[in-house]
Amino acid sequence: MEEEKGLVETKLKVRPVKKEREKKYRDYPTVVDNSTAAHDFWEPIVHLGLWAIKGHQIVKGPWGGGTVEQAKKRPPREFMVIDRASFAFYSHSYGLVSPFFQGLLEAKLTGTKCPKCGTVYCPPRAHCWNPECKVADCFDNWVNLPLTGIIHTFTVQCLAAAPFEHMLPFSMGWVQVDGADTTLPMLLHIRPKEIFIGKKVNIEFIPRKSRKGDLMDLYAVAAVPGEKPPEWACMQKDTREMESVENSMKATLKFIKDRYGVDNSPQTRGW
Amino acid sequence: MPKANRRVAICGGGIFRPDLWHGENAEEGVAIAYQDLLRQCPNLGADDIDAVMMSYFSDHLNQQLCMGWIIQDYLGLHNKPGYRVESGGSTPLDALINAYYMIQSGFFDVILIPGWEWMCEVDVASTNEMIASAADTDWDFPVGGYYNAYYAAIEVRHMQLYGETCEDLGRIAVKNHNNSTHIPFSQWVSQRGTAPITLDDYWKSRMVCWPYRVLNNAVMSEGACCVLMAAEEKVSRFTDTPMWITGVGLGTDSMRPGDRTADFVYAGFKDEAKIYPDFVKSPKTPYPDMANFASLHVAAKRAYAQAGITNPLKEIDLMELFTPYDGVELCLYEDLGLCGRGEGKYMIREGVVEPGGECPVQLSGGLTSTGHPVGATSLYYTTFLYWQLAGKVKEICGPGGLQVPNAKRALITGHGGTGCQGGVIIFERD
Repeated sequence: MEEEKGLVETKLKVRPVKKEREKKYRDYPTVVDNSTAAHDFWEPIVHLGLWAIKGHQIVKGPWGGGTVEQAKKRPPREFMVIDRASFAFYSHSYGLVSPFFQGLLEAKLTGTKCPKCGTVYCPPRAHCWNPECKVADCFDNWVNLPLTGIIHTFTVQCLAAAPFEHMLPFSMGWVQVDGADTTLPMLLHIRPKEIFIGKKVNIEFIPRKSRKGDLMDLYAVAAVPGEKPPEWACMQKDTREMESVENSMKATLKFIKDRYGVDNSPQTRGW
Repeated sequence: MPKANRRVAICGGGIFRPDLWHGENAEEGVAIAYQDLLRQCPNLGADDIDAVMMSYFSDHLNQQLCMGWIIQDYLGLHNKPGYRVESGGSTPLDALINAYYMIQSGFFDVILIPGWEWMCEVDVASTNEMIASAADTDWDFPVGGYYNAYYAAIEVRHMQLYGETCEDLGRIAVKNHNNSTHIPFSQWVSQRGTAPITLDDYWKSRMVCWPYRVLNNAVMSEGACCVLMAAEEKVSRFTDTPMWITGVGLGTDSMRPGDRTADFVYAGFKDEAKIYPDFVKSPKTPYPDMANFASLHVAAKRAYAQAGITNPLKEIDLMELFTPYDGVELCLYEDLGLCGRGEGKYMIREGVVEPGGECPVQLSGGLTSTGHPVGATSLYYTTFLYWQLAGKVKEICGPGGLQVPNAKRALITGHGGTGCQGGVIIFERD
């Protein structure tokens, strides 16, 4: 392996991109721009030439068709496995429901109401999906919603997709905001032993300067602090299961601390 | 009910077994599966194939657009009409249904359906992220979501409404993994061997998203499968044991499962009683709520109508359900009409779906153990049903193979998103 050093570029060199930001919507005024820092940071990374091969390995493994047994009996072959990366920076429009996300920046929760059938959508829909309303426009009919609701369903996550892994363990749930007919997914800052379907929650916002205009700007907390689940609550009524959840949370906390150096324990983050 | 013009059959399936990693790349894997098909159908040549219907889910897992073109030329079939079908997890089943439509229409007689997925080029957390981009990326993804979590939340609500327990999910996991040990092509066998597992192993397996443990979740796989479908006039050229398609159904549901609380389309299930336990005071919503899978319910109704099935539990000998998470299997017992709403738990408790039961489900082991390379998945399980209806399971899988004696009629489902799309096919032998 020693003599192969230097064959591949192992150190990433971020080349500064000196060019004007590309905007397909340049013909229209940008009235608020909170993107410059993000573009300055990410665009050089996007332009790293990520498709260029970064390294390779030679792996000796089983090959060919047939059963597992047949494949593993054959003398292994060498396969060359290359590493390449990919990255893109997307500028995506929230469309006609943009006011919802602009509202989040101001700690306001809104929904749309169909002018024909009266259904209140949160998540908002710009057009009604009730077939009788024939895709009626809802996007000029916004209603302010209270920061209260009910947990429709939930899960406790000990594993997550890449962008959220460092936040583990956490609970995600769908909350029916009071006055809305659909349910909104959000993080639940509630300990597993207190979460149940039907639980009343309050919706809170993260500090103003951290808000980005997405659903991570808000989270749910128990409306009645310390409220215990009823005896029929499906997770807690099985004490062995609850114990298993608690143990899994501990194992996950350790994994995240080892991997990311982050302490997500209830004592530290408060939930 | 659709007007069927002529009979259409599956004439065979060739497989390149699913595994966590293959040295071969996708086109080589498909070629190996195609070789396997050619061995089973010695009369099959390129001239017989009228069109190619390609089944693969992802472009971003391998950084290759138009992979279908690579596959067609690699097999030397690049002068044929070729199509790609993509609908998340439902992809391979939709490919089968689309091929069926085309042959049924009279436009083509013989269609080759290659399916594949190479899912392990990026790390698991990133693969989960890429797959989660099949969910609504403005709403359901940014809150920490991915499919294990969405399905876990759906199962939690089903569990609260209808009272199944984690042990029921464990029983399904044990059944499927142990079925898988009889499949010599299984990923579970490749990684863990053929020793059976117990409920105790289930309790010890790591939690992923409550209530799902590792053993409840679909595996990440690489693999390929090629299925041959033909009109009745051509069938005898390829096989003596055709597996006829006698019913197909497709259904869709809302993109975001959270919207199913105000679902005007499925509120139309007037015949469905609202069965809610009293202790769930609020919110109450009609079927399917965020608990069952209405897309599969309507798909099954359509397929049953075409096949003339009125009592699926009695009239179907075995089923291969697309169940990336074990709660889906429990819900589908209900959605497919094998039992009443909320009674799915009794199907597993009473052994109805176990090997030797009235209607064995997942004798192949299914997605959580035998493998789930998305584009190939339903093609593998179609091939497995083909072995069953042809009575060849023991010949192919060895004396331990779980052959259903005298199996005549089988059902397979496909399932994409959070039940956003689903399909059902009924297979029968002569």
